[in-house]
Amino acid sequence: MSDLLFNTSLLDEVDRFQRQMSSLFSGQPSSIRASRLSTFPQINLGSTDDSVEIVAFAPGIDAAKLELTVDKGLLTISGERARAEPPSEGRSYAQERFEGTFRRAIELPRDADPDNVKARYANGCLTISVGKRETSRPRTIAIQ
Amino acid sequence: MSTQTQLAERNPVAVARHGDTQAQKGPTIVPAVDIYEDAHGITLWADLPGVSRDRLNVHVQDGNLFIEGEASIDTPDGLRLHHAEIREPRFARAFSLSADFDISKIDANLNDGVLKLSIPRREEARPRRIEVSVG
Repeated sequence: MSDLLFNTSLLDEVDRFQRQMSSLFSGQPSSIRASRLSTFPQINLGSTDDSVEIVAFAPGIDAAKLELTVDKGLLTISGERARAEPPSEGRSYAQERFEGTFRRAIELPRDADPDNVKARYANGCLTISVGKRETSRPRTIAIQ
Repeated sequence: MSTQTQLAERNPVAVARHGDTQAQKGPTIVPAVDIYEDAHGITLWADLPGVSRDRLNVHVQDGNLFIEGEASIDTPDGLRLHHAEIREPRFARAFSLSADFDISKIDANLNDGVLKLSIPRREEARPRRIEVSVG
């Protein structure tokens, strides 16, 4: 099963409470690349011994309109989501879904290899796998 | 006059716990929706990233429309999570439907993690203009 999703615990509850509190006190300085809670797309990030795995939850986007760049260790996901075609006449009861242009930046760890990035868009999720440099992989050292 | 009437309210950080079955499975995410109504019926879009067709369950019971889905993402073994903005892989949201809608003709379409539901009105419930004859 996917670890990117199944990690719910008591700590999550604490974390959610913290996020709710921080949204109450928004406007306070925080990390320069951190952004508000309801950003789009939402991102989960994890790593294995030989790669950094990033999932951006970006449903309903034309894959051709997604742009992915790596520059000086900063991975940027940008694109645009068009609004769903509303009926020409009628009423709107809810408009909660994100629309417009977006950009999110992720600082990659120093051992990430920008030449070895794989990205796949499926089911509205952009999965990005950034390889780690050979030298940074954990290894056991044989004792003579 | 404004034609925008927000009837459905959603707290983006809300994590709902409801029903016995849901409580057993743990918390769920309330998916974002767009809802429009025209003369033919209601069109609803819901964001369900990572949910494939076989893990999506849309059903109507006792006049309530339920949308439930579970996200699954292929990840390599031995993954350690560092940062998560989506934690619960389950989405759930319910709406009550009035008797005006023909639940036997609901059309559901899932594409790139967006569910589009078309809920038509019953023929007899469609608005019609009544000609006023001068006599």
